[in-house]
Amino acid sequence: MWWIVSISWSAVFLIVVSLYLYASRSKRLANGTRAGRVKLSDFLFVFVLAGLLALYIVSIDRSSSVIFASGNIVVEAILIVYTAKNWTRKS
Amino acid sequence: MENRQQTASSRKDYWSVPPKEVYEDLKTSDRGLAEQEAKQRLNIYGYNELPTHAFSRLRILLRQFRNPLFFILLVSAIVAGFFEVRQSVAIIAMIALSVVLGYFNEYKAEKIIEDLRQTVSLKAVVIRDGKPSEIDSRLLIPGDLISVYVGDIVPSDMRIVESKDLEVNEAVLTGESFPVEKTSQVLQIQNPIPQQLTNYMFMATVVVHGTARGVVVATGRHTEFGSISRSLVRTRPQTEFQRGVRRYGNMLITLALALVVGIFVLNALLGHALIESLLFSLAVAVGLVPELMPAIVTISLSQAARNMAKKRVVVKRQVSIEDLGNMDILCTDKTGTLTSGKIALKDYWSLSDSPDQRILQYSLLCNSAVVGTDKITGNPMDVAIWEYAIQKGIQDGVRSHVVVDEIPFDYQRRMMSAVVRNGSESLLITKGAPESVLSRCQNIEMVEGNEPIEPVREKIDSKLASQSGAGYRTLAVAYRTVGSKSSYSIEDESNLRLLGFLTFTDPPKKDAREALDKLKELGVDVKILTGDNELVATKICEELGIPVYRVLRGSELTQMTSPEIRAAVEEATIFARITPEQKLDIIKALKTNKHVVGFMGDGVNDAPALFEADVGLSVDSAVDVSKDTADIVLLDKDLLVLANGIEEGRKVFGNVTKYILMGTSSNFGNMFSAAAASLYLPFLPMLPMQILFMNLLYDVSNMTLPTDNIDVEYTELPKRWDIDFVRKFTLFFGPFSSLYDFLTYGIMLFIFGASPALFHSGWFVESFWTEVLVIFVIRTRRVPFITSRPGKWLTVLTLSAVAFGTILPFTFLGNFLGFTPLPTEFWILLILMVATYLLLVDAGKVFFYKICKF
Repeated sequence: MWWIVSISWSAVFLIVVSLYLYASRSKRLANGTRAGRVKLSDFLFVFVLAGLLALYIVSIDRSSSVIFASGNIVVEAILIVYTAKNWTRKS
Repeated sequence: MENRQQTASSRKDYWSVPPKEVYEDLKTSDRGLAEQEAKQRLNIYGYNELPTHAFSRLRILLRQFRNPLFFILLVSAIVAGFFEVRQSVAIIAMIALSVVLGYFNEYKAEKIIEDLRQTVSLKAVVIRDGKPSEIDSRLLIPGDLISVYVGDIVPSDMRIVESKDLEVNEAVLTGESFPVEKTSQVLQIQNPIPQQLTNYMFMATVVVHGTARGVVVATGRHTEFGSISRSLVRTRPQTEFQRGVRRYGNMLITLALALVVGIFVLNALLGHALIESLLFSLAVAVGLVPELMPAIVTISLSQAARNMAKKRVVVKRQVSIEDLGNMDILCTDKTGTLTSGKIALKDYWSLSDSPDQRILQYSLLCNSAVVGTDKITGNPMDVAIWEYAIQKGIQDGVRSHVVVDEIPFDYQRRMMSAVVRNGSESLLITKGAPESVLSRCQNIEMVEGNEPIEPVREKIDSKLASQSGAGYRTLAVAYRTVGSKSSYSIEDESNLRLLGFLTFTDPPKKDAREALDKLKELGVDVKILTGDNELVATKICEELGIPVYRVLRGSELTQMTSPEIRAAVEEATIFARITPEQKLDIIKALKTNKHVVGFMGDGVNDAPALFEADVGLSVDSAVDVSKDTADIVLLDKDLLVLANGIEEGRKVFGNVTKYILMGTSSNFGNMFSAAAASLYLPFLPMLPMQILFMNLLYDVSNMTLPTDNIDVEYTELPKRWDIDFVRKFTLFFGPFSSLYDFLTYGIMLFIFGASPALFHSGWFVESFWTEVLVIFVIRTRRVPFITSRPGKWLTVLTLSAVAFGTILPFTFLGNFLGFTPLPTEFWILLILMVATYLLLVDAGKVFFYKICKF
């Protein structure tokens, strides 16, 4: 089960860091520093991580490269749509 | 006489005693010193020269090692030498490369400045044993009697004993553009500042009018000029970039030490072999060190220095290029930097609405300038009149007039006159200080005809006062018809008719406005630090379009406490009538307020500020001490190149930042997962030699990072070192890499049932692919990353490195390193996994850059 713990730990760590960064931003906002408005959808990578976590655990647990591959393709499609929606406007 | 000198303004008050007492005190006379005595005194006082920043190859070389990363790298090279000699050699080669490149670039820059300095050798006319002779100014000693003439650079501090119509430009010392009148008259003042000593001449100032004889009272480092140079003989403060590198180095050392100790202790506690655990923990620490950092920095800086050299900008200290890019406040001297430092005729005017062109024509006729074929010499104001007339093409209008007599300028009358004949009519034209000329005028010429001057006198005085308040100098022009006679005298300068006035200014440089606008676009605030008065500085700001939020005078600054100065420097745009020490205080206060501060100046009074600033900028025409102190010297007085330089600096900083972010996030992620896996795997997740080889390959793929393209939006605003940002970036993006490493462990063990060799191979390839390819995502803030085009060479080298890493397990070298070929199914999963990873990091950027501004 160590690899499940490891993968989960990385994902949990990322989520914790995101929350820490969000909290530190609130502190900077209180000090008058400007920062962009953060929406729930900006946290998409966190939701994707959670989905990936389940996918990877299931696929590795069943030793199924097919589940692993198809899961990755679905996630990639989601991420491509997401990045296209967040296309950087050139200043 | 004591074997010790002091600066002129603080030593015995020679300004308050007549020349005779000066002679007595300095044991000299109006015949000067005896040659023999002069030789003895030279032994006592030494040469009349300033300690300059000696041109030393060794010093330039040693300067290249002032970098904490060298220490880390050296330790890494030694540690790496235990497992992989090639890695050790590669690290040492990188250190050598950056040292050699840095040395040659800085040597070249220092050599240019040294050559410039050696082209100037000053001579002085000294009277010894009653006879004048020209000697090298280095041989002057206190008590020497010297003569100075128009155009001379004053060779030492001297008390004037005789003078005739003497005017000296002291801009180099005080920042004041207009010449100052000097006489030998005794002054009764206590604790004067140099500007008040009108019977002194100071080293490096320039005689612009008249002649004088004076006794040398201070030489070399004991002059006013020298006292400022002396303040520069101390350790140069670290620039913002150097402080940033140090903080970054400290962060890495802490991280590496924590990992080494942590991994070793945990492995030991879990019962793994002690030596193996130690070697593995050391290899992980070496993997964290960004070996390429000095090379990336040096190559980037050298490239930027070369680009700037093409625009005739000499970069003396390469490290300053990054600070030039990050600079958010530019403090600048006024005279000679924003202004031309040369008096120019602004316009001519009369009380009538339309100015009479005769004002200009008559002032050309009543003019002491000598007009040569390629140069006009003489009194600066007369020269300015000619230059203006030539520029406007109206000098030919005076050809029909013949100058038949002149009454020269003198300081009692403060005006000059010329008698000119045009056909049968003779005119006496007078030009001079308004108050002198006006007192000799009875009428004023208006459009309606001649009118008495008294009714409009108040109006004239008010206009003159406003001109003077705005920092302009004004001359009046008047005339009258005279009868023909053989010679004319000052008695003829009466009953004049006022024609109009000439207004002079030290105009802004042609490109100054454009350059300042560009600086504003680049997010650089400009502040003016000048020894001149606030009205002149405000006027220049108006002309250059610099918004003035607050004006602070030197006298106000002296009353302020440090916190008050720190608050005031944020608000004020102009600092007027300030001393060199106050310039220094202002720079320090701005630096304390976390600004990256540049200072541009050309006078000796600017040298301490040039020294203290993060970036010291000077110009070719500056005094040696300023050029010595500056980090960057503009060979052409083109301020626009400054803006180009800032963009170059930002590109360098951008590429160095990319490397740091890559190294500390991706590397950290990989090393962290290796460390974690070592705790529960029955074998090491990667052999020490494999870790170091991957590190070497990764470094090679990054070699072309200095040539990478930078997004336009990145260079729009100044950036600064922010270790907190680097830390957050590492914490956030590092785990992405770790997550995929753990995933690879799972796939290798549970899908492929991998042996240690297959496990090592699979993880090596995955780790290398993610580590190298993520540069395309991290190098830009744009989402998706494909909208930012990477540099050609970076793309070629990165993809080549990936290709090499891919085929490695199938080669003999791979076999030697302990790798084994991987199954086809692995490659399919790897491609999908890496694609997901890159997309995930790109999606993470949306969140991260909204949260963390940099």
